[in-house]
Amino acid sequence: MIDVKGLVHSYAGQATPALAGIDLHVRRGSLFGLLGPNGSGKTTLISILTGILRADAGLVIIDGRKLPQDARAVQKICSLVPQENAFYPTLTVGENLQFFANAQEIPSGVIVERVGDALQITGLESATGIRANRLSGGMKRRLSIAIGLLNHPQLLFLDEPTVGIDPQSRQFLLEAIKKINAAGTTVVYCSHYLEEVEYLCDEIAILDHGRVLRQGTLKSLSEESSRLALVVPVRSAGLQELFFHLTKTELRDTVQ
Amino acid sequence: MKVLATLVGKEFLLLRRDWHALALLFVMPAFFILLMSLAMRDVFATGRTSTNTFKYYLVNEDTTAFAVSIANALGTHEVFQPTTLNSAEARKRAILKGDVQFEVVIPLGFTRSLPDSVPLRISVVSGAGVAPPVNELFRASVREAVTSVYLRARVAALLPQLSAGGGDFLQMERVNALVKEETLYESAQLSRRPTSVQQNVPAWLVFAMFFVALPLSTTWLQERSQGSLTKLRSIGLSPTVLLAGKLLPYLCVNMVQVGIMLAIGVWVVPLFGGDALTLGHSPLGLIVMALATGTAAVSYGLLIANLVSTTEQATIATGATNLLLGALGGVMVPRSIMPEALQQVSSLSPMSWGLEGFLDILLREGSVQTIAPKALLLVGFALVSLTLAGFRLQRARTF
Repeated sequence: MIDVKGLVHSYAGQATPALAGIDLHVRRGSLFGLLGPNGSGKTTLISILTGILRADAGLVIIDGRKLPQDARAVQKICSLVPQENAFYPTLTVGENLQFFANAQEIPSGVIVERVGDALQITGLESATGIRANRLSGGMKRRLSIAIGLLNHPQLLFLDEPTVGIDPQSRQFLLEAIKKINAAGTTVVYCSHYLEEVEYLCDEIAILDHGRVLRQGTLKSLSEESSRLALVVPVRSAGLQELFFHLTKTELRDTVQ
Repeated sequence: MKVLATLVGKEFLLLRRDWHALALLFVMPAFFILLMSLAMRDVFATGRTSTNTFKYYLVNEDTTAFAVSIANALGTHEVFQPTTLNSAEARKRAILKGDVQFEVVIPLGFTRSLPDSVPLRISVVSGAGVAPPVNELFRASVREAVTSVYLRARVAALLPQLSAGGGDFLQMERVNALVKEETLYESAQLSRRPTSVQQNVPAWLVFAMFFVALPLSTTWLQERSQGSLTKLRSIGLSPTVLLAGKLLPYLCVNMVQVGIMLAIGVWVVPLFGGDALTLGHSPLGLIVMALATGTAAVSYGLLIANLVSTTEQATIATGATNLLLGALGGVMVPRSIMPEALQQVSSLSPMSWGLEGFLDILLREGSVQTIAPKALLLVGFALVSLTLAGFRLQRARTF
């Protein structure tokens, strides 16, 4: 679904590149975990994959289409759910969904059906008339995801979808994401929560300093992590050991 | 086109629900127009009876007919009203306090000293708080009174037969009639004269139109920080469409502002005793100026929104630059009374182009041809602002 080779991107005025030669392959239908500490390059990578940013160099092919040349076609089949609550707080849930459906030029004949599907998957059917700024944290995240599902994407990018929400909402979201993936949507899941990635994803890439440090199936990376746990006795064996082994444990405070 | 209509529709919905910002955009300039038009009414009130008068103490210690004539001549002025108070100390206190603005003292022996090489002088004292133009006007009126009485006395002394005929042999009214005073307008409608409402409505209207940059830039930054702008970029909306989606609705807000502010000038200011605004004779010119100024103002807001990072920065940047452009552009102080060097700098402010264009239509009876250069400058400014904003948006590290 996604093929990336030698992707490089630098921001003006920054000494080190945000992406320093990324190679990545995401299989169609997979639930792909993108792990990395703050400033590792995840956000820049997603910005390029969704056609928002142009890379300085490298090759990006999504579903057989090259970026940035075919950005419009790629944007039709993919969807991004940003880390922030990407909607208008003073509009109601229904008005937000209607607006984003129209903005994506979804045919008016299917908008009602698409909105209904999105509300049903995210459990927001009873909240359509409520202004978004009155929703709970969990409902806001679900609204963001509902907006992301309006175009029935083949490829869905989720950036930290469970930040700041209660355990019940979190569990609901994780199950919903599994269902979305099971229905055939390829999901790229960015998160700081290693246990979420372990729970959800079948393939994982660990990014740091603008490079992919490891990519593999959950099984292969877990095996590597277990071997490390024997050498570095920190907590129980899991993805965490490999993550910290690769990215180190020093703080990654980033300043914009 | 459908996407643009969707963005515009959403913006109107958001504006309708943010009535605090809308109220600020309409109430603030309306208040300024009313306040400034009424407060400055008398500054522009030439050629009619002013409701604003100034008081002066007239102390005539000389009792000669000559001194009395001077005192009488002074007393005929319609703006300066004489009053009396015996105590010199009390007069001084009243002038210092600002209750009375001037004091004129004709000293004892003044008339008798006139043939002397160094005659006694009439003392004219002004309060410290008196505006310089008013001060000058009062001194000139005293000089005029003294001159006319002195001249009349001297001529009568030289040619007694003239004064024997009675009447005003100097015919001062005829002398004053030798000067014909007019204001030049582009059209033949010479009856119109500048009033404070004619000056203040366009000034505060232009300021209010540029003030739209404040809510516009903060809304844009909120959308950016909330991620909705990122989402819109990710579905393929170009910077051009996103900028147009803000430009059009806020331009409509600007047009409503123009309508309301002009209506206040035409109908509301007269209700409070001010002059009514006259709209010139070129409705098309007025529309062109409104659209050009509005486009420039909204584009400027979009540029600020894309240059700064936070709503706090946007608030400071738009507030500070609006005040600066307004002060430079002649909103607070008319350009005509600025020093030459400052007038040159002033001509760099887009608010000055907008204001001069509106003044061309409302005050100088200009036409579309008259305002075309200013309108083109404003549109050019808008295009540069939008291009820079689009470039910044394209390169923005959106999330």
